[in-house]
This record gives sequence, structure tokens and C-alpha cells, in this order.
Amino acid sequence: MENKKFKIIKKKEILKLLESLKKEYSIFVPIEDNGDARFSEFKSGQDIFWDYRNTKISPKEILFPQAETLFCFGPGAEVKAEGSTPGGKDYLIFGIRPCDAQAISLLDKVFGGEDFEDPYYLERRKKTTVISLACSKPQIDCFCTSLKGKPENEEGADIILFDLGEDVLAGAVTKKGEKFIEKQNKWFKDAGQSDVDKKDKLMDLSLNKIKSQIDIQNIKEKLDNAFNDLLWNEIHQKCLGCGICTYFCPTCHCFDITDEINPKAADSKTPEGKRVRCWDSCMYPLFTLHASGHNPRPTYKERMRQRIMHKFNYCPENFKEIFCVGCGRCIRNCPVNLDLREVLVSLMSLGSLCKDKKI
Amino acid sequence: MIEKIKETVKKLFKENKIDIFIGYSEGTLPLRSTPCFITRSEDIEKLVWNSYCSNNLAVYLPRFFVSQRGAKDAKLPRIGILAKGCDGRSIVGLIKEHQIPRENIYIIGIHCGGMINTKKIKKVDIVAAEEKNDKVLVEDEDKKKVELKKEELLADMCKTCQYTAPAVYDILLGKEKQKTKKEDREAFIKEFEKKPLEERWEYFQEQISKCIRCNACRQACPNCYCKECFAEQAKPRWIGPTNDISDVMFYQIGRIFHQAGRCVDCGACVRACPMGVDLRVFTYKLIKDVKEFFEYEAGVSLEEAPPLATFKQDDKQEFITEP
Amino acid sequence: MNNPYLPIPVTIKKITIENEARDIKTFDLVFNVKKETEKFKYTCGQFAEISMLGIGEAPIGIASSPMDEDLVQFTVKKYTTGVVTSALHNLCPGDMIGIRGPYGNGFPMKDFEGSNLVIVGGGFALTTLRSLTRYILHKKNRAYFKDITVLYGARSPGELIYKSELKQWDQRDDINVHLTVDRGDKNWKGRVGLVPNVLSEIAPRSENSIVLVCGPLIMVKYTMLPLMDLGFKPEKIFFSLEMRMKCGIGKCGRCNIGPKYVCKDGPVFTYKELQGLPQEY
Repeated sequence: MENKKFKIIKKKEILKLLESLKKEYSIFVPIEDNGDARFSEFKSGQDIFWDYRNTKISPKEILFPQAETLFCFGPGAEVKAEGSTPGGKDYLIFGIRPCDAQAISLLDKVFGGEDFEDPYYLERRKKTTVISLACSKPQIDCFCTSLKGKPENEEGADIILFDLGEDVLAGAVTKKGEKFIEKQNKWFKDAGQSDVDKKDKLMDLSLNKIKSQIDIQNIKEKLDNAFNDLLWNEIHQKCLGCGICTYFCPTCHCFDITDEINPKAADSKTPEGKRVRCWDSCMYPLFTLHASGHNPRPTYKERMRQRIMHKFNYCPENFKEIFCVGCGRCIRNCPVNLDLREVLVSLMSLGSLCKDKKI
Repeated sequence: MIEKIKETVKKLFKENKIDIFIGYSEGTLPLRSTPCFITRSEDIEKLVWNSYCSNNLAVYLPRFFVSQRGAKDAKLPRIGILAKGCDGRSIVGLIKEHQIPRENIYIIGIHCGGMINTKKIKKVDIVAAEEKNDKVLVEDEDKKKVELKKEELLADMCKTCQYTAPAVYDILLGKEKQKTKKEDREAFIKEFEKKPLEERWEYFQEQISKCIRCNACRQACPNCYCKECFAEQAKPRWIGPTNDISDVMFYQIGRIFHQAGRCVDCGACVRACPMGVDLRVFTYKLIKDVKEFFEYEAGVSLEEAPPLATFKQDDKQEFITEP
Repeated sequence: MNNPYLPIPVTIKKITIENEARDIKTFDLVFNVKKETEKFKYTCGQFAEISMLGIGEAPIGIASSPMDEDLVQFTVKKYTTGVVTSALHNLCPGDMIGIRGPYGNGFPMKDFEGSNLVIVGGGFALTTLRSLTRYILHKKNRAYFKDITVLYGARSPGELIYKSELKQWDQRDDINVHLTVDRGDKNWKGRVGLVPNVLSEIAPRSENSIVLVCGPLIMVKYTMLPLMDLGFKPEKIFFSLEMRMKCGIGKCGRCNIGPKYVCKDGPVFTYKELQGLPQEY
């Protein structure tokens, strides 16, 4: 972040700024929900959950909702694509943690792409400004620094904010971010050196809190020959086969497409209803079950292997990126404490004598 | 206690009585133990026994006996398992429902003093924890230590547990634990029943709307061994896979009602739920009703016939005609 | 932005029952809007998502040849557990459905020019191979290819599909057609034997030859042995694979074999490519 021009804004002013942007944007902010944090549409008079530990459900749900209508159909009606943003407004994602912002940049690769583009995600994404909030609240299961991340990672964000207490420091990351700050100039002041020093101190402190460090250098290459390794027989053992790790993961993007019919018109020759896509999980047996009854991934073992290989080998092969940002959600929420870090450490020990599996 | 467990397991392997042992080992997070599968006797040292061994291990058993295509003559594994009262009751259920052969399961029963619900610790930034007798010592990022009473942290189902040790076992370890009074354990559901219908419906909706259909409740439940769940059946399709409230409601009602006369109140579903859905208020209502109507409790005897699989002339019927 | 998830309306013009069990039917589809016909340019071996509103979608290989004008054909087997295939089998000519595609890589037809082609099919998986055979036999294309051998087998005579077309091919002198069944019946005068065994018997030459194999996994697996014995090179053996799919465009994440997505990197793979991939199909 050399020579970045930082701006400063009073925390109190931010609510006013967001209020003024409501006409133009659908604004998503972290709020307290059931004792956890979750992104929700900003409402007047609502405060932002500034010092939240990361949200339980990842903010990928804003750009890639758990269920969304692809189009509606009905008698006489032609198939119509659903408008992808409510009210056609632009999106402002405010206060997303850097790991989750990085995850958005990964999702961009999946839903974009040379051959086919996903219009639902991309149209929404194009209209989105991402304002991230540098992380001062790492948790014991966070391990972003073992991947590409750090508390002030900028990837995926247009603007990055630092919570300095009463003030918030803002730095533009992209042209879009620059323009945003320029346009909202009246709310910001130039930051002084002392503010920047404060930020640096805050980030050092935060970085030190991330105790969990695993060495996964060259994991892609390690896994190139690991498909048939016996280790997979053990790794999956305690997995229950639920969808928590994949649903909570900010980079998991697999989905199902299904039709929902209006039951009142179910018997009609021209059914009325909608085609919906919703999150799906490679951990479910039906995910790959053929109509013929054949299943290429019949047991927990193959499904667990698919999840790990997809993130740490197949995606690096296809997108040149590991599809894990180290947010720790899969670890935190796993009902049987199947810890991804442990899995990675044991996979890293393949072909070497390293037997130390401590995290 | 842990030494006794290890000793027993060691003996079982030595005498070639089991091929695999399912117990708990130390977890990677504070206040967590994790299911652990042991096939080599040198791994026995990994075993732990503490107040974080909350997972119901019975859930893993059926998968060992699902017949694999082309493996008809394959020798069925002999499995040793550590069973708390609730795990033991689930095992009984699985045996009665012919999901696992009794002769292939070696049950090490253990008197359980209840498991901690970590969600009850409001102090969220625990980085380390230590259990000492009836206390839990937790430490935060700044090395500040706080002492908490275990009793206050016990999971709700553990607080009202009537079967702290399994009814069916091959060996039983530990000292008998004190049980709660019967009337105590039903207090919360009686309280709930008193509420007007609208209020109960509202509560149900409020709880269900939290659900994200991750299926963790189902997957963690030893009773949910169906090869194909009604929730995912394609022909006929009962419900959609989305988190739409109508889909979620149908899923939850369907799954929970399938537990009637089978649920042992182990709390595996509640513990697994990442969204904090209060599933127990619904499952416990079933337990209470089954007890009232049929005088039956799941998982306490291998002989007694399950109420929903039998018919008696004097079976209560009012609940069908007068809901 | 072009929306690949929207199905294009088509009308069923004709339905042909292909087998004795009546669970395999060929659907002739015509685009409702003429200009869509021109947009739907496909090559042999590609597939499309057949879309039934209110029911769902299923990926089905295209059975017609790119040389067939104005219509697209799909041969669909009805599975008792298959929601879309079952619903499709209940339809009549005149009914409307949707398709989206074409998807997948298809057979590299240009690369095959100047080679002998050995076409090995089993059961109802002959569909995309039928597309390819029709393409090659077209008068505009036949000269580009050398000897053509078709070996097609099914469990019983009643399970052989495209019977009249097979007869037509057999009557031509620019193609060798071998039919076989696992078990014959009293009317069957032809060959009885498993596809891999018959392949060894007819022993097509491997020099300058390409093999295309489509069929049940077990047949495909056992066909490799005689092919290797006959000296076919792994890079000259082509398969078409099947996987459960939803989007068809490489997004939904379920049809991968290792890093390759069957919907967009496949469904056609060479044996050599498959040898470099995990055995998870």
C-alpha cells in the first residue's frame, strides 16, 4: 500500500453518508443477527456492527443468493429472465472483511470466463461497489495468512476501510473506488500521517492475532498425484455429509437448478411457475447421482476428496487460484470438528517424512 | 476414566474382538473433542474423555453395514464404540430397526455427566480452555482467565437427562451419575404447550425461518439413515431444495415427525445446527406425546416393540381425531 | 448479456419408438422461430439441455447430423427415476418443449478426415455415434473419410435402436456394419456375442484409424483390451462420457472429472486424456 492517498471520515458521518446513498444503491451492511453478524440491507436508523467478528454466513449470499429465480413461466407467458438487481439499483457492499472480498474476486472467475458468462451474477457484480473493512478481529480458526490473505488484503475491494475508533480511514483500491470517494468528497478529509501510523499499528496487532499458520506451499503440485492416495480413506471418516462447510464457504459456488410450479396450476397443460437455482453441495450424494442409478462419487470419501481437490487442485489448474481464503468458517461451524487445516497439513505430508500434524 | 477406556480398547484389539474403535480425540478448537476412528492399537493414546465429547457416535455405525454392490460375502466389520447414555439409546434404536447387527458392535458404555454447550459461553473470544473437576477454565486472547461452572454450561438435554448410561452395553465404565427429577425435564415443554396456538405457530415459523437447509440436523441424527430422504426424492418430488419458508417448513416437519417414537433426545440435531434453530422444542414434544400415549421411551430396551410399528387394541387415538 | 439459461422453444414434430421395451424414443424437434435453427449450429458429439417447464432439464446427446436441415433429433431413454425423461416420454407430436445448447466439445471431425473410422456402440448410447455416422455418410462428406466400420451391439435384438437406418447403412457398400446381441431370440439370424469379443473377431486395422466408443461403462472398459491388442493408440480412441449435469456451461460444478468439466471440456475425450484423469466417472 505504498503511497496510497488515504482519506478520513468520522464514524458518525458514515451512517449519514450511507443514508444519502440509499436512493442510488441497495446497501448491504453487517448487522447483529441472533448473536452473530450477518449482512443485511441497510435501514435508516440502523447502526453498523463495526467490530464484528466475521459474519456466520458469508456475504457471497448478496451476489449469489441461496435461491434465485432464473425465469418465470406461465400460460401464454414467454419465459422471462428475472431482473437481477432489486429495483435496478446499484449494489454497495459495505464493511465486508478482506477475506470475503477476496472470495468475490474468485467467484468472478467462475461466473465470468471465456466461454460462458453467468448473466445473473455478472450483472449484479458489475453494478456492485465493494467497500471492505480491514480485519481487526481475527479468530482462532482464521488462517488467511497461510493463503494469500492478510487483515488488510485489498483484493476484491474497491475501497478499503480501517476502523480507527472514532475515525475511519479510507483508501481507494480501484478506479471505481477512487471515483466513489471523489464523488462523495464532501464527507472525507485528507488523512494525516498520524492516522496512517495508527492504521499500521492496528494492522500489526491484528496480524499478530492470527496464530494459525500452515505451510501449504505447492499444495497444487502435491495434490496432482494424490487422487488415489490411501489418506483419503481416513480424512473423510468423521464427516457427516452435511452442507455446512460448502454453504458457509465464501468461494463454494456449486448450484442446482430446479423448477417450482404453482400448485394451483399444476395439472394444466402449460404449467405456471419458475425455474430457480439454489446452492448445492458436493457433499451430498445426489449431487452426482445419474438418472441411471450410477454414482461416480458414491461414498463420503469421494465427496470429501472432491471438495478438497476442487479447491486446492482443480481450481488452481483452471483459474490459477486456490479457492480458499482462510476465513475459517468451515472449521468454526463443522459439527464434528473436521478441521480443514488438519486435512491440508496431512495432505502436505504426502510423499515426505514429515509426520508432525500439529497446526 | 480415560485410562480405563484406553485399557479396555487395548484389550479389545489385543483379543482381536474389534476391527475398529470409535471414540473421541482432542479437537482442534477449545472446548471441542472430535470423533475419532481407531484401527491401530498405537493410536489408542489419542483417545480422550471430557465434557466436550458431545457428538453422538452412533451416527457412524450404519454406514459400515450398508451393503456394497459386489461385496455380498464381505466380512462385516466388528466395531467397538464408546457410548454415553444417549449414544447407547441410539444404538439400541439402530439395532431394533435392523440397521446394525448387535453381534458386530461392542458397546463400551460410560456414565456421562453431561456435555457442555459452548454456545452458552457468551464470552466469544476463547482461545484456550481447560476442564477441572466441575469447573471450566477459559482463556481469552489477552491471556485473561475466567473460571466457569460446568453445571451452568451443560447443554439443555444433558441437564434433564434420564439415561446417563446406556441400557444395553458390553461393559460399563464410570460411576453412576445423578439424574434429574422427571417432572423437571418436562417443564419446558409443558410451558410451551400452554401457549396459545397462534403463539406456538409464530415460534415455529420464527425458528424455521433461520434454517438454511444445510441438512446438518439430519446428517448428525443416527435415526436419519434413510438411503434417500423424502426431502430429496425426485419421483415423486415432495419439496424443493431451496431455503424458501414453505420448503423449509415441510422439510423440518417431515424430518421431525419421522422421529416419533425414535428420538432419544441426544440433541445431535440441535448441536449440529449452525443457525441455532430450536429443534428440541419440537422433538421433545414428540417424546412427551409418545410417552403419554404409548408409555414408550426410545432406546432403552431391545425387546419392547416400537409403538409406531405395533398396534394394540387400547392404543390411544384421540390425538388423531382431536388434534 | 446473452442469457444461456433461457431455453429456446421447440415443437415436437415426430416421435419414433426405437425399441421393444418402448422406453427409448427419438424426438424430432423443430424450432418455433426459424432464425433459432440457424443459431443452433452444432457438431457431432455435442449435447443440449432438454428443458421442460415445470419439470426440469436433462442433458441429452444430439442424435441428428449437422447435415440434417430444419430439425434436431434426440434419442431419449426413459429411466424410472428420471423425472425429465419420464415426462418427455409422455409427450405427443405437437407438444412444445425447450432446448438450450449446443454444449460440449463434440468430435473433432476435421481431425478425422483422411482416416479410417471404427465406430463402436452399445445399447442406446449409439445416439451421438449415429449423428457422426450420418454426417460422414452424407454425400458432401463421404469422400473425406476412408473405410468406415460400425460395430453395434445390444443386450437383445429388441434393444437395437435405429433399426431401419442400420439396414440402410448395411445396404451401402461404403460402410461395414456389424450387429451383435448378447442374447439372440428365435428370429435373430445375426451374430451373438459381446461387443468386445466381436471386436476382436472382426479385428479392424489400426493403421491410420480412429476408434469411437460409446456405450455402457462396463462395455467401454472391456472394449479397451481388444483395442490395445489390435494396436490402436490411446490418442486415437475417442469416448463420449456421461455425467449428471445442471447448467451445461461449466458453472454448477458437478460434472467434473478432475479439473475437466464434462459439459464444456467434454463430453468427448480421448483414451489418452482419460488416462491422465482420475477414474471418477
